Amino acid sequence: MTTPEAVTLPEVPRLVATRGADVQDAVRDAHARREPLRIAGAGTWLHAGRPVAADTTLDLSRLSGIVEYVPGDLTLTARAGTSLAEIDDTVRANGQWLPLDAFGTTAGTLGATLATASAGPLAASIGLPRDVALGIAFVTGDGRLVRGGGRVVKNVAGFDLVRLAVGAWGTLGIIVEATVRLRARPETDRTLAMALPADRTALTTCLRRVREAEAAPVAAELVGASLAPRLGLDEGADWLLVRLAGNSEAVGAQEEALARGRHVHEVAPDVWQRLRATDPAEGLVVRLSQRPGELARLWTAAQRLEAAGGARHATLERGVVRAWVPMPDEDVIAAFLAELGAADARIFERLPPAWWPRLAPAPADPLARALRRAFDPAAVLNRGILGASEEQAG
Amino acid sequence: MGDRMRSSLGRQLAAICGPRHVLERPAELLVYTADGLPGYRKRPSLAVFPGTRDETVAVIRHLAREGVPFVPRGAGTGLSGGALADDVVLLGLHRMRRVLAIDVENRMAVVEPGVVNASLSRAAAPFGLHYAPDPSSQAACTIGGNVAENAGGPHCLKYGVTLNHVLAVTAALPDGEVITLGSAEGEREGYDLAGVFVGSEGCFGVALDVTVRLTRNPQAVRTMLADFTSLDAAARTVSAIVALGIVPAALEMMDTGTIRAVEASIFAAGYPIDAAAVLLIELDGFRVGLDRDVERVAALCRAGGARTLRVASDETERARLWQGRKKAFGAMGRISSHLVVQDAVVPRTRLPEILAEVGRIAQAHGVHVCNVFHAGDGNLHPNIAYDGTDADERARVFAAMREIMRACVAAGGSVTGEHGIGLDKLEYMSLVFSDDSLDAMCRLRDVFDPERRANPGKVVPTRSCREWAGTPAARGAG
Repeated sequence: MTTPEAVTLPEVPRLVATRGADVQDAVRDAHARREPLRIAGAGTWLHAGRPVAADTTLDLSRLSGIVEYVPGDLTLTARAGTSLAEIDDTVRANGQWLPLDAFGTTAGTLGATLATASAGPLAASIGLPRDVALGIAFVTGDGRLVRGGGRVVKNVAGFDLVRLAVGAWGTLGIIVEATVRLRARPETDRTLAMALPADRTALTTCLRRVREAEAAPVAAELVGASLAPRLGLDEGADWLLVRLAGNSEAVGAQEEALARGRHVHEVAPDVWQRLRATDPAEGLVVRLSQRPGELARLWTAAQRLEAAGGARHATLERGVVRAWVPMPDEDVIAAFLAELGAADARIFERLPPAWWPRLAPAPADPLARALRRAFDPAAVLNRGILGASEEQAG
Repeated sequence: MGDRMRSSLGRQLAAICGPRHVLERPAELLVYTADGLPGYRKRPSLAVFPGTRDETVAVIRHLAREGVPFVPRGAGTGLSGGALADDVVLLGLHRMRRVLAIDVENRMAVVEPGVVNASLSRAAAPFGLHYAPDPSSQAACTIGGNVAENAGGPHCLKYGVTLNHVLAVTAALPDGEVITLGSAEGEREGYDLAGVFVGSEGCFGVALDVTVRLTRNPQAVRTMLADFTSLDAAARTVSAIVALGIVPAALEMMDTGTIRAVEASIFAAGYPIDAAAVLLIELDGFRVGLDRDVERVAALCRAGGARTLRVASDETERARLWQGRKKAFGAMGRISSHLVVQDAVVPRTRLPEILAEVGRIAQAHGVHVCNVFHAGDGNLHPNIAYDGTDADERARVFAAMREIMRACVAAGGSVTGEHGIGLDKLEYMSLVFSDDSLDAMCRLRDVFDPERRANPGKVVPTRSCREWAGTPAARGAG
């Protein structure tokens, strides 16, 4: 297996939901017939290579629209199929933003972003989906509409159904609506770039100094040399992009602290959109993570994928390296995995379908299996998306 | 549970923890019949206090074998009756109070559940770090209890609640199985079980150790007090500050009743006693630029009708301003023997109208409400001091509280922002959640505790937990 297979979407019947009740009807029917459903938002993740075993697709892209937006509360409620771009356009007019900046296209939907817990550079400070979601409505695998959380920014009423649904890939319920916390746009929002040393020891020292500097970046992302030209940076080096936001004096002081003893230069703020847009549509995408202090080691390990025609970037304070190869080679991947420590976390976000059985996540623990049974007794929701192990749920 | 069986259980638990650490006599149990919220009294059948992780697991396994329900308890400072054991075993965890590790480079700490909140920040202080969630009871409350309640505190406005600071939990499930939820070493695929465990109010198991995030101390802090001649003007100023985009580290409000109680107590902070309301506002961050943010907030306060503005000139004055706020509930103790505190949350733009509504409700019922709360989060703490021996007054107080809760829910709010449901707010759950949502919470609980032995009768009204056909609820089945 040295080349990825062409990915073609299975031609399956589509049910298009325009109301929450449509989702309930579809799921009740699927539950009664024991016939699994594939859940789709904008469809940007359908190529992720996760082999959902379903003959029918439930399309939520038209279950969209903003339900409630009170700018003074800095909260917004939208249906699951609403695109992140639409939310951003709406709140921008009031000087606000939604800090969900997952890699890939902004055509992605709110529901899918939360369901997959997809996070971007802002996740290290303000944009982890589990922290941004305040309330959620979802339809369980037996067709019941359930609401957790609410529309207020602080809430501990009852067991936490919000955290349950975020990151569950739709397997505990189909998210139909969510309330998210917005931020006011900062007065000043600047991004600096600094070239990183290639040597691992030097890189370790450099990253430690950046983390210890008197600065609190809203994002600090390493980008590999292969991405640099697409971001308007010199491809002779790996780079660290540091985004500083806040009042202009405070941003200036942080900039000075970061520039002490290093060469930094400012880059245009659209570098972040450009970085998001570099995400590949196919191939293999892997996310490695460890304590932030281990980042230089993971970064170096991922170099092997960059050298094989791929790319890498990393979120500093989160300790996450994300790397991809459009045309993965089995030997390269094997050598790359062999270099990692047993305790290093790895998540394959995207795989050529044929690779999935071998690299799928470890079998789910009994607690996770019991959760699946409790919320989707017939395993009709995205069956198979969490790996072969959860087939037992059915 | 009969007396003969109880003493036999007591003997068995004493064999695990030592006889000094098992209490059975009613007089010894008296102190465990209440938590931080007066008004409820429940006596445990016995209380056991394991001193180590192994002892804790052994106790839980023994209780599982015997099929005995239990209630985990930290320092008992909770404000929802959540740590009360009604004729079941009380499992006190305050002896497990070691800070196991502080990882300075990665800004995290591993602690046992009985570590006191403020002592973790003290342990981290030499490294320029602190643990951000700061409930007002932080001098006494434990991290285990904070995790169970998803505790908040004034500084959660900027830094987030307990959930946002917990990376991983090693927990003993009610059946005695020890599992790790979440991960401190990278991000794992799968359900967010740590996120679900935080705030589960002791119903999902017992934390044996907790890995938390530590936060860097800010370079500079500015604390100011603004006083207003009307509650409404203060509330409108809060909304204006929130909308401004500067996120204060804390934004607290106290009304005239609270101010007078505080100023008459040993916690007197120098609040103006003729004010209708004061805002205690703290900004923190980088030294450079902070004073401009302070000036922008001050300008909003002045525009909103603030009579005077006082910025603490030194750490002593700052500590004094905060002491009045953090000890406000204690100060109420001087007024009457009993105190009922609510914890509703409303969207922040609704604060002015809801405060007016609370005032109307109090007047209609002839009770005196004091407000002291996390205004920046919209998290109200209306509280009423009353004489619990006066049945008529007690009835009026509770009728007023119910009406206040209904008004907050009608404004799009929640019935608890940080204190938890416990026993006290069970009756309000169906105001906020449908039967199907409550049922989903029961399903979730049953995954962790199919026998419903951990903190029985709390959080979700029992009648909501209907059975659903054809689903094996027990873990490991199938």
